[in-house]
Amino acid sequence: MSLILLKGFFRKELTQALRDKRMRMLIFALPAIQLTIFGFALKTEVRNVRLSVMGRPGDALLEKVARRCYASGYFIPARIGGDWLSALRSGQAEAILAGPVAGLLADRLGKDKAPLQLLLDASNMQRAQQLENYVAQIAAEELAAYSGQPQAPPQKISVRVLYNPALDSAIFMVPAVMCMLLCVITIILTAMALAREKETGTFETIISAPLRNSEVLAGKTLPYVLLGLLDVPIILGVAELMFHVPLRGPLWELLLAAAVFVFATVAIGTVISTIAANQQQAMMASFLFPAILLSGIMFPIENMPEMFKPLAYLNPLKYFVTLLRGIMLKGMGPQSFLFNIACMGALCAGAVGLAALRFRQKLN
Amino acid sequence: MSPKLRVAASIALKELRHIRRDPFTLAMALGMPVLLVTFFGFIIDFHYKNISVTVFDHDGTPASRRFAQSLGASGYFRLSKAHEGLTPDYALENDKSFSALVINPGFGRDLDKRGAGPSAQLLLDGSDNAKTGVTLGYFQQASAMAFDAARGQRSPPPSSPVSTRFLFNHELNSRWFIIPGLTVVICGLVGILLTALTVAREWENGSMEMLLSTPARPGSIIAGKLAPYLALGFCGVAFVYAAARLVFGVPFCGSHALYAFSCLLFLLAATAQGLFISIATRQQQLAMQFSIVSGLLPSLLLSGFVFPVDSMPLFFRWFTCILPPRWFMETSRDLFLKGAGLADLWPQFLMQALLCAVLLALGLKKFKTDLEP
Repeated sequence: MSLILLKGFFRKELTQALRDKRMRMLIFALPAIQLTIFGFALKTEVRNVRLSVMGRPGDALLEKVARRCYASGYFIPARIGGDWLSALRSGQAEAILAGPVAGLLADRLGKDKAPLQLLLDASNMQRAQQLENYVAQIAAEELAAYSGQPQAPPQKISVRVLYNPALDSAIFMVPAVMCMLLCVITIILTAMALAREKETGTFETIISAPLRNSEVLAGKTLPYVLLGLLDVPIILGVAELMFHVPLRGPLWELLLAAAVFVFATVAIGTVISTIAANQQQAMMASFLFPAILLSGIMFPIENMPEMFKPLAYLNPLKYFVTLLRGIMLKGMGPQSFLFNIACMGALCAGAVGLAALRFRQKLN
Repeated sequence: MSPKLRVAASIALKELRHIRRDPFTLAMALGMPVLLVTFFGFIIDFHYKNISVTVFDHDGTPASRRFAQSLGASGYFRLSKAHEGLTPDYALENDKSFSALVINPGFGRDLDKRGAGPSAQLLLDGSDNAKTGVTLGYFQQASAMAFDAARGQRSPPPSSPVSTRFLFNHELNSRWFIIPGLTVVICGLVGILLTALTVAREWENGSMEMLLSTPARPGSIIAGKLAPYLALGFCGVAFVYAAARLVFGVPFCGSHALYAFSCLLFLLAATAQGLFISIATRQQQLAMQFSIVSGLLPSLLLSGFVFPVDSMPLFFRWFTCILPPRWFMETSRDLFLKGAGLADLWPQFLMQALLCAVLLALGLKKFKTDLEP
């Protein structure tokens, strides 16, 4: 295909896409804004749990346990009116630590099997389990210190979380959100731009021009690959400057992964655009929604039932998330890099092939 | 019937005929929500099993073997012995394993010696947010028992001074948590998409201009356009509710009337949001972009669906207040699991109604200014 031809296509598509101010904002500003919001807002650690402590007035030991809980940073005090069940039900409190009924906590030690009771709102069961761990540990330490019991010998095992030792939420989330934003923007941009041409009838004009199918396909889609790739430095800049996400692997690996991914999503967008007009949005939603949910960002993929796992392996976003996290946080090894990029490349080739096929059917 | 209402009704009737002729929209509104909820309800499971641990046993004593064995028996971990020449760093960097347990020489000897440094190390792959925290918790629980096993004691698990009662979800079933939330996300998405795109297409086709040149008032047009989609969305919710109850056995402890009212408020807010987007953009492409940006991503990430709102920094806790799904998320979960009543949920209802009114007013205002020359 001639370079002049391609240049013409590029000029037309880019001019059209960038002419509209709202469109420019969507492509360039919005990903940066969204990454900033999600990067700051999404916290994976447990915070601000409304904890209320109930016991007899003047129970010094119970108060000591309560103070330790509040000092731990996980809990904030909650005032409750009425009984504990309605407090939990209305959300005034998320957790209630209740002292013994029969007397002061200090007096009941050793007499009751479990002198303290923890009442938890377990509708979010993950959070509830973590809370149980925290409170049980704090109470055990504090009560053992009070009664002067020999504490269990300290566990002689050190736990190190590699790549993100401080368990910083932003470092977990930012690479994943980057993938998600790139996916959403490229697919919608391509699919809707192509669909629009079909509706306005300008597509017929191109078909009647003396061009080969492959030339039309390349000319129509490559500009969107370029637009998608222009977003990469923007979101990478936000990740580095705003969130200080490390970049431990080589930059070329990241760029290569991004390029393969953008090719794949543009191809998927092209396939979507060949579907009947009133079904496109539904198709897009029914691609994006599962792609995001099954990418490993929000839910563990390996917990899926075996029969559904192949679906997750067909998701280019999954490989891109693995790659971006691996390259940025781990400086991932060559073996793993090659495996993931090969899988993504294969999916990309499949999507491009499908796009070419659908495109040809539409033209003929 | 007042003339305004009659106009609205006839627009609604026209819209209904439109929908009936387009089986795809009908399928999307009624089928997609229930399909998505069932599908994701089945496959999403928070309980990790078989977290891969590569064991580097440099001690090789019976104690260290018992320690590893006991960890494996906890059911959380799948242990594998490191083969010759593998290093922990290599295993983690190449995703051979999620974590590595390195047992130093002298582990068995120093078991009961006080003051000795750590004789074993657990290395975790910290690039996966969902898994790292859970693994840390599991390991804490399992390692206490594993140390007892290493000492050769068969002591009962150490008794905690705290007895815990998990209320509202006593089986700690993750589906009970996910499905009422999934309902919110999916219904919001369908509500926004349905209106945003149909109305935007009318602008693009020019049929909206035609409608505007008739004596119909903006209020009637909006009411007539929204009502059918609202009804359609509501039927979709009813199917989703049935799937949640019948397929997954999620309990419903609250009042059905309140739930229906809350659903209506939320769907109205979502359709109003879609309408506003389509009036503001008048283009399908932009409408789609804005629907996804303002509908899909925030309702997945900022509504408390998976990432709790309470854990967010203060500014973002305020920021999420302007998102209708954040409020419906609380109402939905509280009604399903906790059996909350109006006395508990009035702030959520108030906010939902307020946001709904604001979105409708915005749409109407934008619509009116567009009419004036």
